[in-house]
Amino acid sequence: MIRDITIGQYLPGKSALHKMDPRVKIIVTFAFIIVIFMCKNFWSLGLMVLFTALCTILAGVPMRMMLKSLRPVMVILVFTGILNIFYTSGGNKLLEFWKITVTDKGIYTAVFMIVRIVCLIAGSSLLTYTTTPTMLTDAIERILSPLKVFKIQVHTLAMMMTLALRFIPTLIEEIERIMNAQKARGADLESGGFIKRAKALIPILIPLFISAFRRAYELAFAMECRCYRGGEGRTRMKQMKVKATDIVASAVTAALLGAVIFLNIYFKPVIG
Amino acid sequence: MKDSIIEFDNVSFTYDGTEEEQKERLPAVKEVTLSIKKGEFVSVLGHNGSGKSTLAKLCNAILIPQSGKVTVCGMDTADESLIYDIREKVGMVFQNPDNQIVATIVEDDVAFGPENLGVEPKEIRRRVDESLKAVGMYEFREYEPHKLSGGQKQRVAIAGIIAMRTDCIVFDEPTAMIDPKGRAEVMETAKKLNRENGITVIFITHFMEEAAEADRVVVMDDGRVLLDGTPARVFGERETIRKIGLEIPSAANLADMLKENGIELESDVLTPSDCIDAVYEAARKAGVCS
Ligand SMILES: Nc1ncnc2c1ncn2[C@@H]1O[C@H](COP(=O)(O)OP(=O)(O)OP(=O)(O)O)[C@@H](O)[C@H]1O
Ligand SMILES: [Mg+2]
Repeated sequence: MIRDITIGQYLPGKSALHKMDPRVKIIVTFAFIIVIFMCKNFWSLGLMVLFTALCTILAGVPMRMMLKSLRPVMVILVFTGILNIFYTSGGNKLLEFWKITVTDKGIYTAVFMIVRIVCLIAGSSLLTYTTTPTMLTDAIERILSPLKVFKIQVHTLAMMMTLALRFIPTLIEEIERIMNAQKARGADLESGGFIKRAKALIPILIPLFISAFRRAYELAFAMECRCYRGGEGRTRMKQMKVKATDIVASAVTAALLGAVIFLNIYFKPVIG
Repeated sequence: MKDSIIEFDNVSFTYDGTEEEQKERLPAVKEVTLSIKKGEFVSVLGHNGSGKSTLAKLCNAILIPQSGKVTVCGMDTADESLIYDIREKVGMVFQNPDNQIVATIVEDDVAFGPENLGVEPKEIRRRVDESLKAVGMYEFREYEPHKLSGGQKQRVAIAGIIAMRTDCIVFDEPTAMIDPKGRAEVMETAKKLNRENGITVIFITHFMEEAAEADRVVVMDDGRVLLDGTPARVFGERETIRKIGLEIPSAANLADMLKENGIELESDVLTPSDCIDAVYEAARKAGVCS
Protein backbone atom coordinates (compact mmCIF):
# COMPACT_ATOMS: atom_id res chain seq x y z
CA MET A 1 0.00 0.00 0.00
CA ILE A 2 1.03 3.57 -0.68
CA ARG A 3 0.73 4.36 3.04
CA ASP A 4 3.82 2.29 3.69
CA ILE A 5 6.27 4.28 1.62
CA THR A 6 9.01 5.86 3.63
CA ILE A 7 10.76 8.89 2.27
CA GLY A 8 14.51 8.53 1.86
CA GLN A 9 16.09 5.38 3.16
CA TYR A 10 16.19 6.03 6.87
CA LEU A 11 16.47 2.94 9.07
CA PRO A 12 15.22 3.72 12.57
CA GLY A 13 17.69 2.82 15.29
CA LYS A 14 19.37 3.93 18.47
CA SER A 15 23.04 3.47 17.61
CA ALA A 16 25.79 6.01 18.25
CA LEU A 17 25.63 6.92 14.57
CA HIS A 18 21.91 7.61 14.82
CA LYS A 19 22.48 9.82 17.82
CA MET A 20 25.21 11.94 16.28
CA ASP A 21 24.57 15.58 15.55
CA PRO A 22 23.49 15.52 11.88
CA ARG A 23 25.67 18.56 11.13
CA VAL A 24 28.78 16.78 12.36
CA LYS A 25 27.68 13.65 10.54
CA ILE A 26 27.44 15.46 7.22
CA ILE A 27 30.83 17.11 7.67
CA VAL A 28 32.47 13.85 8.78
CA THR A 29 30.98 12.08 5.77
CA PHE A 30 32.47 14.70 3.48
CA ALA A 31 35.84 14.32 5.17
CA PHE A 32 35.52 10.53 4.75
CA ILE A 33 34.93 10.94 1.01
CA ILE A 34 37.98 13.20 0.67
CA VAL A 35 40.14 10.74 2.63
CA ILE A 36 39.02 7.90 0.35
CA PHE A 37 40.15 9.90 -2.65
CA MET A 38 43.52 10.41 -1.01
CA CYS A 39 44.17 6.67 -0.71
CA LYS A 40 46.94 5.61 -3.09
CA ASN A 41 47.54 1.94 -2.25
CA PHE A 42 45.74 -1.12 -0.96
CA TRP A 43 46.97 -0.57 2.59
CA SER A 44 45.35 2.81 3.03
CA LEU A 45 42.24 1.78 1.10
CA GLY A 46 42.06 -1.39 3.16
CA LEU A 47 42.02 0.70 6.30
CA MET A 48 39.07 2.68 4.96
CA VAL A 49 37.21 -0.51 4.01
CA LEU A 50 37.75 -1.79 7.53
CA PHE A 51 36.49 1.49 8.96
CA THR A 52 33.39 1.48 6.73
CA ALA A 53 32.63 -2.11 7.73
CA LEU A 54 32.99 -1.23 11.42
CA CYS A 55 30.65 1.74 11.07
CA THR A 56 28.09 -0.41 9.26
CA ILE A 57 28.11 -2.91 12.10
CA LEU A 58 27.98 -0.12 14.67
CA ALA A 59 24.96 1.46 12.96
CA GLY A 60 23.24 -1.93 12.84
CA VAL A 61 22.62 -1.64 9.11
CA PRO A 62 22.13 -5.15 7.68
CA MET A 63 24.52 -6.25 4.91
CA ARG A 64 21.52 -6.83 2.65
CA MET A 65 20.61 -3.10 2.84
CA MET A 66 24.18 -2.09 2.04
CA LEU A 67 24.21 -4.31 -1.04
CA LYS A 68 20.87 -2.82 -2.05
CA SER A 69 22.34 0.66 -2.04
CA LEU A 70 25.06 -0.55 -4.44
CA ARG A 71 22.61 -1.80 -7.03
CA PRO A 72 22.08 1.55 -8.80
CA VAL A 73 25.84 1.97 -9.38
CA MET A 74 26.40 -1.59 -10.65
CA VAL A 75 26.73 -0.38 -14.26
CA ILE A 76 29.28 2.22 -13.26
CA LEU A 77 31.27 -0.40 -11.34
CA VAL A 78 31.40 -2.80 -14.29
CA PHE A 79 32.26 0.01 -16.69
CA THR A 80 35.04 1.32 -14.44
CA GLY A 81 36.46 -2.19 -14.12
CA ILE A 82 36.54 -2.84 -17.86
CA LEU A 83 37.98 0.55 -18.73
CA ASN A 84 40.78 0.22 -16.22
CA ILE A 85 41.70 -3.33 -17.20
CA PHE A 86 42.01 -2.47 -20.88
CA TYR A 87 43.37 1.02 -20.81
CA THR A 88 46.04 0.95 -18.12
CA SER A 89 49.47 1.03 -19.65
CA GLY A 90 52.63 -0.48 -18.17
CA GLY A 91 53.09 -3.49 -15.88
CA ASN A 92 53.61 -7.15 -16.82
CA LYS A 93 51.63 -8.52 -19.72
CA LEU A 94 49.28 -11.30 -18.65
CA LEU A 95 47.16 -11.73 -21.74
CA GLU A 96 47.21 -10.42 -25.26
CA PHE A 97 44.67 -10.83 -28.01
CA TRP A 98 43.77 -8.76 -31.06
CA LYS A 99 44.61 -5.16 -30.10
CA ILE A 100 44.03 -5.57 -26.38
CA THR A 101 46.59 -6.29 -23.71
CA VAL A 102 45.76 -7.08 -20.10
CA THR A 103 48.48 -6.31 -17.56
CA ASP A 104 48.69 -7.04 -13.85
CA LYS A 105 48.79 -3.31 -13.23
CA GLY A 106 45.53 -2.98 -15.14
CA ILE A 107 43.84 -5.55 -12.91
CA TYR A 108 45.17 -3.95 -9.75
CA THR A 109 43.93 -0.54 -10.85
CA ALA A 110 40.51 -1.93 -11.77
CA VAL A 111 40.09 -3.64 -8.41
CA PHE A 112 41.34 -0.55 -6.61
CA MET A 113 38.85 1.72 -8.39
CA ILE A 114 35.93 -0.61 -7.77
CA VAL A 115 36.71 -0.97 -4.07
CA ARG A 116 37.04 2.78 -3.82
CA ILE A 117 33.61 3.42 -5.35
CA VAL A 118 31.98 0.73 -3.21
CA CYS A 119 33.50 2.27 -0.12
CA LEU A 120 32.30 5.70 -1.19
CA ILE A 121 28.72 4.59 -1.75
CA ALA A 122 28.65 2.54 1.45
CA GLY A 123 29.98 5.47 3.49
CA SER A 124 27.50 8.00 2.17
CA SER A 125 24.61 5.50 2.42
CA LEU A 126 25.42 5.20 6.10
CA LEU A 127 24.61 8.89 6.41
CA THR A 128 21.16 8.53 4.84
CA TYR A 129 20.48 5.24 6.63
CA THR A 130 21.02 6.81 10.04
CA THR A 131 19.55 10.30 9.51
CA THR A 132 15.93 11.25 8.77
CA PRO A 133 15.38 13.46 5.71
CA THR A 134 14.07 16.23 7.97
CA MET A 135 17.22 16.13 10.07
CA LEU A 136 19.31 16.23 6.90
CA THR A 137 17.60 19.31 5.47
CA ASP A 138 17.68 20.95 8.89
CA ALA A 139 21.38 20.27 9.24
CA ILE A 140 22.10 21.49 5.71
CA GLU A 141 20.28 24.71 6.51
CA ARG A 142 22.38 25.21 9.61
CA ILE A 143 25.67 24.29 7.97
CA LEU A 144 25.02 26.64 5.05
CA SER A 145 23.68 29.48 7.18
CA PRO A 146 26.98 31.46 7.00
CA LEU A 147 26.22 31.87 3.28
CA LYS A 148 23.50 34.34 4.29
CA VAL A 149 26.29 36.92 4.28
CA PHE A 150 26.36 36.55 0.50
CA LYS A 151 22.58 37.07 0.34
CA ILE A 152 21.94 33.41 -0.48
CA GLN A 153 18.46 32.37 0.68
CA VAL A 154 19.56 29.35 2.67
CA HIS A 155 16.34 29.14 4.67
CA THR A 156 14.17 29.28 1.55
CA LEU A 157 16.19 26.49 -0.03
CA ALA A 158 15.88 24.30 3.04
CA MET A 159 12.14 25.02 3.27
CA MET A 160 11.73 23.99 -0.35
CA MET A 161 13.52 20.72 0.33
CA THR A 162 11.36 20.02 3.36
CA LEU A 163 8.16 20.73 1.45
CA ALA A 164 9.31 18.57 -1.45
CA LEU A 165 9.94 15.69 0.96
CA ARG A 166 6.58 16.28 2.61
CA PHE A 167 4.67 16.21 -0.67
CA ILE A 168 6.37 13.28 -2.41
CA PRO A 169 4.04 10.68 -0.82
CA THR A 170 1.00 12.90 -1.37
CA LEU A 171 1.79 13.33 -5.04
CA ILE A 172 2.54 9.63 -5.53
CA GLU A 173 -0.87 8.88 -4.07
CA GLU A 174 -2.37 11.42 -6.42
CA ILE A 175 -0.67 9.89 -9.47
CA GLU A 176 -2.10 6.54 -8.53
CA ARG A 177 -5.56 8.03 -8.17
CA ILE A 178 -5.38 9.84 -11.52
CA MET A 179 -4.07 6.71 -13.27
CA ASN A 180 -6.95 4.68 -11.92
CA ALA A 181 -9.42 7.38 -12.94
CA GLN A 182 -8.04 7.46 -16.49
CA LYS A 183 -8.00 3.67 -16.70
CA ALA A 184 -11.61 3.65 -15.61
CA ARG A 185 -12.31 5.94 -18.54
CA GLY A 186 -10.68 3.43 -20.85
CA ALA A 187 -7.19 4.90 -21.11
CA ASP A 188 -4.59 2.37 -22.22
CA LEU A 189 -1.37 3.07 -20.35
CA GLU A 190 0.52 -0.16 -20.77
CA SER A 191 0.61 -1.13 -24.42
CA GLY A 192 2.08 0.34 -27.58
CA GLY A 193 5.45 1.74 -28.52
CA PHE A 194 7.42 4.45 -26.83
CA ILE A 195 5.64 7.35 -28.54
CA LYS A 196 2.20 5.92 -27.82
CA ARG A 197 3.05 5.39 -24.18
CA ALA A 198 4.52 8.87 -23.83
CA LYS A 199 1.31 10.27 -25.30
CA ALA A 200 -0.72 8.24 -22.85
CA LEU A 201 1.08 10.03 -20.04
CA ILE A 202 -0.31 13.43 -21.02
CA PRO A 203 -3.77 12.85 -19.50
CA ILE A 204 -1.99 11.91 -16.28
CA LEU A 205 0.52 14.71 -16.14
CA ILE A 206 -1.91 17.55 -16.85
CA PRO A 207 -4.31 16.81 -13.96
CA LEU A 208 -1.30 16.15 -11.75
CA PHE A 209 0.16 19.58 -12.49
CA ILE A 210 -3.15 21.35 -12.04
CA SER A 211 -3.68 19.72 -8.70
CA ALA A 212 -0.09 20.38 -7.63
CA PHE A 213 -0.55 24.09 -8.35
CA ARG A 214 -3.81 24.15 -6.39
CA ARG A 215 -2.08 22.43 -3.50
CA ALA A 216 0.77 24.92 -3.59
CA TYR A 217 -1.72 27.79 -3.50
CA GLU A 218 -3.60 26.36 -0.53
CA LEU A 219 -0.40 25.46 1.29
CA ALA A 220 0.85 29.03 0.90
CA PHE A 221 -2.39 30.25 2.48
CA ALA A 222 -2.09 27.81 5.35
CA MET A 223 1.52 28.83 5.96
CA GLU A 224 0.59 32.50 6.02
CA CYS A 225 -2.17 31.75 8.50
CA ARG A 226 0.45 30.21 10.74
CA CYS A 227 2.47 33.43 10.71
CA TYR A 228 5.16 32.19 8.33
CA ARG A 229 7.31 35.07 7.12
CA GLY A 230 10.57 33.48 5.99
CA GLY A 231 13.56 32.58 8.09
CA GLU A 232 13.93 35.86 9.92
CA GLY A 233 13.13 35.79 13.64
CA ARG A 234 12.30 32.10 13.42
CA THR A 235 13.28 29.74 16.24
CA ARG A 236 13.52 25.95 16.08
CA MET A 237 12.03 23.45 18.49
CA LYS A 238 14.73 20.86 17.93
CA GLN A 239 18.11 22.26 18.81
CA MET A 240 21.24 20.56 17.56
CA LYS A 241 23.97 19.96 20.09
CA VAL A 242 27.49 18.68 19.58
CA LYS A 243 27.95 15.83 22.05
CA ALA A 244 30.86 13.61 23.13
CA THR A 245 30.07 11.09 20.36
CA ASP A 246 30.48 13.82 17.76
CA ILE A 247 33.86 14.84 19.12
CA VAL A 248 35.01 11.20 19.16
CA ALA A 249 33.79 10.74 15.57
CA SER A 250 35.65 13.85 14.41
CA ALA A 251 38.81 12.70 16.20
CA VAL A 252 38.57 9.25 14.61
CA THR A 253 38.19 10.83 11.17
CA ALA A 254 41.22 13.04 11.77
CA ALA A 255 43.22 10.00 12.92
CA LEU A 256 42.09 8.18 9.78
CA LEU A 257 43.37 11.04 7.64
CA GLY A 258 46.75 10.87 9.39
CA ALA A 259 46.96 7.10 9.00
CA VAL A 260 46.11 7.28 5.30
CA ILE A 261 48.79 9.90 4.67
CA PHE A 262 51.32 7.73 6.54
CA LEU A 263 50.39 4.55 4.64
CA ASN A 264 50.53 6.44 1.34
CA ILE A 265 54.11 7.47 2.03
CA TYR A 266 55.24 4.19 3.57
CA PHE A 267 53.94 1.82 0.89
CA LYS A 268 54.28 1.90 -2.88
CA PRO A 269 51.28 3.50 -4.62
CA VAL A 270 49.05 1.48 -6.93
CA ILE A 271 47.77 4.46 -8.84
CA GLY A 272 48.87 7.94 -9.86
CA MET B 1 -17.78 46.01 22.72
CA LYS B 2 -15.39 44.48 25.17
CA ASP B 3 -16.45 40.86 25.16
CA SER B 4 -16.36 40.46 21.37
CA ILE B 5 -13.34 38.92 19.68
CA ILE B 6 -14.07 39.54 16.02
CA GLU B 7 -16.12 42.45 14.84
CA PHE B 8 -17.39 42.97 11.27
CA ASP B 9 -18.60 46.50 10.66
CA ASN B 10 -20.50 46.91 7.39
CA VAL B 11 -17.87 44.87 5.54
CA SER B 12 -17.87 44.39 1.76
CA PHE B 13 -15.29 42.52 -0.28
CA THR B 14 -14.88 41.94 -4.03
CA TYR B 15 -12.13 39.72 -5.46
CA ASP B 16 -9.54 41.37 -7.69
CA GLY B 17 -9.50 40.62 -11.38
CA THR B 18 -8.82 42.14 -14.76
CA GLU B 19 -10.75 45.31 -15.53
CA GLU B 20 -13.32 43.45 -17.61
CA GLU B 21 -13.86 40.83 -14.95
CA GLN B 22 -14.10 43.57 -12.38
CA LYS B 23 -17.05 45.21 -14.13
CA GLU B 24 -19.33 42.21 -13.83
CA ARG B 25 -17.91 40.72 -10.69
CA LEU B 26 -20.23 40.91 -7.70
CA PRO B 27 -18.97 41.35 -4.18
CA ALA B 28 -18.31 38.00 -2.47
CA VAL B 29 -19.24 39.54 0.88
CA LYS B 30 -21.78 42.37 1.07
CA GLU B 31 -22.37 44.82 3.92
CA VAL B 32 -21.85 42.26 6.64
CA THR B 33 -22.15 43.41 10.23
CA LEU B 34 -21.43 40.68 12.71
CA SER B 35 -19.95 40.38 16.15
CA ILE B 36 -18.41 37.16 17.41
CA LYS B 37 -18.26 36.96 21.20
CA LYS B 38 -15.42 35.45 23.20
CA GLY B 39 -15.97 31.77 23.91
CA GLU B 40 -18.80 31.36 21.42
CA PHE B 41 -19.24 28.37 19.12
CA VAL B 42 -20.64 29.83 15.92
CA SER B 43 -21.41 27.76 12.88
CA VAL B 44 -21.72 29.33 9.46
CA LEU B 45 -23.98 27.83 6.80
CA GLY B 46 -24.67 28.76 3.20
CA HIS B 47 -24.78 27.19 -0.23
CA ASN B 48 -21.72 27.05 -2.54
CA GLY B 49 -20.38 30.48 -3.41
CA SER B 50 -22.35 32.28 -0.72
CA GLY B 51 -19.16 33.86 0.62
CA LYS B 52 -18.37 31.67 3.64
CA SER B 53 -14.71 31.13 2.82
CA THR B 54 -14.32 34.79 1.97
CA LEU B 55 -15.80 35.68 5.35
CA ALA B 56 -13.32 33.31 7.00
CA LYS B 57 -10.33 34.84 5.21
CA LEU B 58 -11.44 38.32 6.24
CA CYS B 59 -11.15 37.21 9.88
CA ASN B 60 -7.36 36.96 9.96
CA ALA B 61 -6.17 39.55 7.48
CA ILE B 62 -5.67 37.13 4.60
CA LEU B 63 -8.13 39.37 2.81
CA ILE B 64 -8.70 43.04 3.61
CA PRO B 65 -12.17 44.50 3.02
CA GLN B 66 -12.55 47.26 0.44
CA SER B 67 -15.15 48.95 2.57
CA GLY B 68 -16.10 48.60 6.17
CA LYS B 69 -13.83 47.40 8.93
CA VAL B 70 -12.87 44.08 10.53
CA THR B 71 -11.43 44.26 14.03
CA VAL B 72 -9.85 41.36 15.92
CA CYS B 73 -9.45 41.99 19.65
CA GLY B 74 -9.54 45.70 18.90
CA MET B 75 -6.96 45.46 16.08
CA ASP B 76 -7.95 46.65 12.62
CA THR B 77 -7.06 44.00 10.01
CA ALA B 78 -6.26 46.77 7.51
CA ASP B 79 -3.26 47.79 9.65
CA GLU B 80 -0.33 45.95 8.09
CA SER B 81 1.88 46.26 11.13
CA LEU B 82 -0.61 44.19 13.18
CA ILE B 83 -0.99 41.39 10.65
CA TYR B 84 0.99 38.77 12.61
CA ASP B 85 -0.53 39.78 15.95
CA ILE B 86 -3.92 39.17 14.38
CA ARG B 87 -2.95 35.79 12.92
CA GLU B 88 -1.57 34.78 16.28
CA LYS B 89 -5.04 35.39 17.73
CA VAL B 90 -7.12 33.87 14.96
CA GLY B 91 -6.00 30.58 13.43
CA MET B 92 -7.51 28.78 10.50
CA VAL B 93 -8.12 25.13 9.65
CA PHE B 94 -8.90 24.32 6.02
CA GLN B 95 -10.83 21.72 4.11
CA ASN B 96 -7.99 19.62 2.74
CA PRO B 97 -5.85 18.26 5.56
CA ASP B 98 -3.02 17.38 3.16
CA ASN B 99 -2.50 20.94 2.01
CA GLN B 100 -1.93 22.48 5.42
CA ILE B 101 0.63 20.13 6.93
CA VAL B 102 4.11 21.47 6.33
CA ALA B 103 6.55 19.08 7.96
CA THR B 104 7.39 15.42 7.44
CA ILE B 105 6.86 14.55 11.11
CA VAL B 106 3.74 15.31 13.14
CA GLU B 107 5.46 17.09 16.04
CA ASP B 108 7.58 19.21 13.69
CA ASP B 109 4.42 20.34 11.98
CA VAL B 110 2.78 21.36 15.24
CA ALA B 111 5.95 23.29 16.09
CA PHE B 112 5.79 25.25 12.82
CA GLY B 113 3.50 28.05 14.10
CA PRO B 114 5.33 28.74 17.38
CA GLU B 115 8.67 28.58 15.52
CA ASN B 116 7.42 31.30 13.18
CA LEU B 117 6.49 33.39 16.20
CA GLY B 118 10.01 33.09 17.56
CA VAL B 119 9.04 31.26 20.74
CA GLU B 120 11.85 29.76 22.89
CA PRO B 121 12.71 26.13 21.97
CA LYS B 122 11.82 24.74 25.42
CA GLU B 123 8.50 26.55 25.44
CA ILE B 124 7.75 25.26 21.92
CA ARG B 125 8.35 21.70 23.11
CA ARG B 126 5.92 22.26 25.98
CA ARG B 127 3.26 23.76 23.76
CA VAL B 128 3.63 21.01 21.15
CA ASP B 129 3.17 18.25 23.73
CA GLU B 130 0.25 20.10 25.30
CA SER B 131 -1.50 20.72 21.98
CA LEU B 132 -1.02 17.17 20.77
CA LYS B 133 -2.51 15.88 24.03
CA ALA B 134 -5.43 18.31 23.74
CA VAL B 135 -6.40 16.87 20.35
CA GLY B 136 -5.59 13.30 21.38
CA MET B 137 -2.71 12.82 18.95
CA TYR B 138 0.19 12.66 21.39
CA GLU B 139 0.95 9.00 20.70
CA PHE B 140 1.32 9.84 17.01
CA ARG B 141 3.87 12.62 17.52
CA GLU B 142 6.63 10.84 15.62
CA TYR B 143 4.47 9.61 12.75
CA GLU B 144 4.76 10.79 9.18
CA PRO B 145 1.57 12.70 8.28
CA HIS B 146 0.83 10.65 5.19
CA LYS B 147 0.43 7.58 7.38
CA LEU B 148 -2.51 9.13 9.27
CA SER B 149 -6.23 9.08 8.48
CA GLY B 150 -8.09 12.19 7.35
CA GLY B 151 -9.53 12.86 10.79
CA GLN B 152 -6.16 12.41 12.42
CA LYS B 153 -4.46 14.76 9.95
CA GLN B 154 -7.13 17.36 10.60
CA ARG B 155 -6.53 17.03 14.35
CA VAL B 156 -2.80 17.54 13.77
CA ALA B 157 -3.67 20.71 11.85
CA ILE B 158 -5.79 21.86 14.81
CA ALA B 159 -2.91 21.13 17.21
CA GLY B 160 -0.68 23.26 14.97
CA ILE B 161 -3.07 26.15 15.46
CA ILE B 162 -3.57 25.89 19.20
CA ALA B 163 0.19 25.60 19.72
CA MET B 164 0.27 29.26 18.67
CA ARG B 165 -2.04 29.99 21.64
CA THR B 166 -4.78 31.35 19.43
CA ASP B 167 -7.96 32.66 21.04
CA CYS B 168 -10.13 31.81 18.09
CA ILE B 169 -10.09 29.13 15.40
CA VAL B 170 -11.91 29.47 12.11
CA PHE B 171 -12.70 26.09 10.57
CA ASP B 172 -13.44 26.24 6.84
CA GLU B 173 -15.36 23.06 6.08
CA PRO B 174 -12.84 20.90 7.96
CA THR B 175 -15.04 17.85 7.63
CA ALA B 176 -15.90 18.05 3.94
CA MET B 177 -13.17 15.68 2.77
CA ILE B 178 -13.13 13.05 5.49
CA ASP B 179 -15.16 10.00 6.40
CA PRO B 180 -17.95 10.05 9.03
CA LYS B 181 -15.67 8.71 11.77
CA GLY B 182 -13.05 11.38 11.11
CA ARG B 183 -15.84 13.96 10.94
CA ALA B 184 -17.03 13.07 14.41
CA GLU B 185 -13.43 13.24 15.72
CA VAL B 186 -12.92 16.74 14.34
CA MET B 187 -16.27 18.00 15.64
CA GLU B 188 -15.59 16.50 19.07
CA THR B 189 -12.15 18.15 19.17
CA ALA B 190 -13.60 21.54 18.21
CA LYS B 191 -16.29 21.26 20.88
CA LYS B 192 -13.81 20.15 23.52
CA LEU B 193 -11.45 23.06 22.80
CA ASN B 194 -14.38 25.44 22.98
CA ARG B 195 -15.68 24.01 26.25
CA GLU B 196 -12.45 23.27 28.11
CA ASN B 197 -9.96 25.80 26.75
CA GLY B 198 -12.41 28.62 26.12
CA ILE B 199 -11.37 28.92 22.49
CA THR B 200 -13.83 30.77 20.29
CA VAL B 201 -14.85 28.60 17.33
CA ILE B 202 -16.21 29.66 13.96
CA PHE B 203 -17.22 26.48 12.18
CA ILE B 204 -18.11 26.67 8.50
CA THR B 205 -19.90 23.54 7.38
CA HIS B 206 -22.28 21.94 4.94
CA PHE B 207 -23.55 19.47 7.49
CA MET B 208 -26.68 20.64 9.27
CA GLU B 209 -26.14 18.11 12.03
CA GLU B 210 -22.85 19.80 12.90
CA ALA B 211 -24.35 23.28 12.72
CA ALA B 212 -27.17 22.26 15.07
CA GLU B 213 -24.63 21.62 17.83
CA ALA B 214 -23.37 25.21 17.86
CA ASP B 215 -24.38 28.00 20.27
CA ARG B 216 -25.21 30.21 17.34
CA VAL B 217 -25.84 29.72 13.63
CA VAL B 218 -25.14 32.28 10.91
CA VAL B 219 -26.65 31.63 7.50
CA MET B 220 -25.05 33.35 4.51
CA ASP B 221 -26.74 33.90 1.18
CA ASP B 222 -25.20 35.76 -1.74
CA GLY B 223 -22.59 37.38 0.46
CA ARG B 224 -25.07 38.64 3.02
CA VAL B 225 -25.96 37.39 6.46
CA LEU B 226 -29.49 36.08 6.04
CA LEU B 227 -30.17 34.56 9.44
CA ASP B 228 -28.29 34.82 12.71
CA GLY B 229 -29.32 33.32 16.01
CA THR B 230 -29.56 30.20 18.13
CA PRO B 231 -29.90 26.92 16.21
CA ALA B 232 -33.49 26.61 17.43
CA ARG B 233 -34.38 30.04 16.07
CA VAL B 234 -32.52 29.71 12.78
CA PHE B 235 -33.78 26.22 11.99
CA GLY B 236 -37.22 27.38 13.09
CA GLU B 237 -37.26 29.47 9.89
CA ARG B 238 -37.99 26.37 7.85
CA GLU B 239 -39.28 28.28 4.82
CA THR B 240 -36.28 30.60 4.50
CA ILE B 241 -33.85 27.72 4.97
CA ARG B 242 -35.53 25.64 2.31
CA LYS B 243 -35.85 28.59 -0.05
CA ILE B 244 -32.08 29.12 -0.26
CA GLY B 245 -31.55 25.45 -0.91
CA LEU B 246 -30.31 24.31 2.49
CA GLU B 247 -31.70 21.43 4.47
CA ILE B 248 -32.75 21.34 8.05
CA PRO B 249 -31.11 18.82 10.41
CA SER B 250 -32.53 15.35 9.86
CA ALA B 251 -33.62 15.08 13.50
CA ALA B 252 -35.70 18.24 13.08
CA ASN B 253 -37.03 16.86 9.82
CA LEU B 254 -38.10 13.70 11.61
CA ALA B 255 -39.86 15.77 14.28
CA ASP B 256 -41.72 17.67 11.53
CA MET B 257 -42.84 14.44 9.93
CA LEU B 258 -44.00 13.08 13.26
CA LYS B 259 -45.97 16.27 13.76
CA GLU B 260 -47.57 15.92 10.34
CA ASN B 261 -48.68 12.49 11.39
CA GLY B 262 -50.21 13.77 14.57
CA ILE B 263 -47.43 13.04 17.04
CA GLU B 264 -46.62 16.27 18.81
CA LEU B 265 -43.17 16.48 20.43
CA GLU B 266 -42.88 18.76 23.45
CA SER B 267 -39.56 20.50 22.85
CA ASP B 268 -37.65 21.85 19.84
CA VAL B 269 -35.69 19.02 18.30
CA LEU B 270 -32.38 19.68 16.51
CA THR B 271 -29.84 17.01 17.39
CA PRO B 272 -30.29 13.24 17.43
CA SER B 273 -30.04 13.19 21.22
CA ASP B 274 -32.78 15.87 21.52
CA CYS B 275 -34.86 13.72 19.28
CA ILE B 276 -34.38 10.56 21.32
CA ASP B 277 -35.32 12.42 24.51
CA ALA B 278 -38.40 14.03 22.99
CA VAL B 279 -39.64 10.84 21.36
CA TYR B 280 -39.10 8.96 24.61
CA GLU B 281 -41.01 11.65 26.49
CA ALA B 282 -43.88 11.51 23.99
CA ALA B 283 -43.98 7.74 24.18
CA ARG B 284 -44.07 7.86 27.98
CA LYS B 285 -46.94 10.38 27.91
CA ALA B 286 -48.84 8.17 25.51
CA GLY B 287 -48.31 5.29 27.88
CA VAL B 288 -46.34 3.21 25.37
CA CYS B 289 -43.48 2.77 27.82
CA SER B 290 -42.60 3.73 31.34
N1 LIG C 1 -9.84 33.72 -5.57
C1 LIG C 1 -11.01 34.13 -6.09
N2 LIG C 1 -11.03 34.96 -7.15
C2 LIG C 1 -12.18 35.39 -7.67
N3 LIG C 1 -13.39 35.07 -7.20
C3 LIG C 1 -13.45 34.26 -6.14
C4 LIG C 1 -12.27 33.74 -5.53
N4 LIG C 1 -12.63 32.95 -4.50
C5 LIG C 1 -13.98 32.98 -4.47
N5 LIG C 1 -14.47 33.75 -5.43
C6 LIG C 1 -15.91 34.03 -5.68
O1 LIG C 1 -16.44 34.63 -4.52
C7 LIG C 1 -17.72 34.12 -4.21
C8 LIG C 1 -17.74 33.57 -2.79
O2 LIG C 1 -16.84 32.48 -2.70
P1 LIG C 1 -16.53 31.70 -1.38
O3 LIG C 1 -15.38 30.83 -1.68
O4 LIG C 1 -16.39 32.67 -0.28
O5 LIG C 1 -17.84 30.85 -1.19
P2 LIG C 1 -18.13 29.67 -0.17
O6 LIG C 1 -19.38 30.03 0.52
O7 LIG C 1 -16.95 29.41 0.66
O8 LIG C 1 -18.40 28.46 -1.14
P3 LIG C 1 -18.10 26.91 -0.92
O9 LIG C 1 -19.23 26.36 -0.15
O10 LIG C 1 -18.05 26.38 -2.29
O11 LIG C 1 -16.79 26.80 -0.21
C9 LIG C 1 -18.03 33.07 -5.27
O12 LIG C 1 -18.88 33.64 -6.22
C10 LIG C 1 -16.70 32.75 -5.88
O13 LIG C 1 -16.82 32.45 -7.23
MG1 LIG D 1 -15.55 27.70 0.88
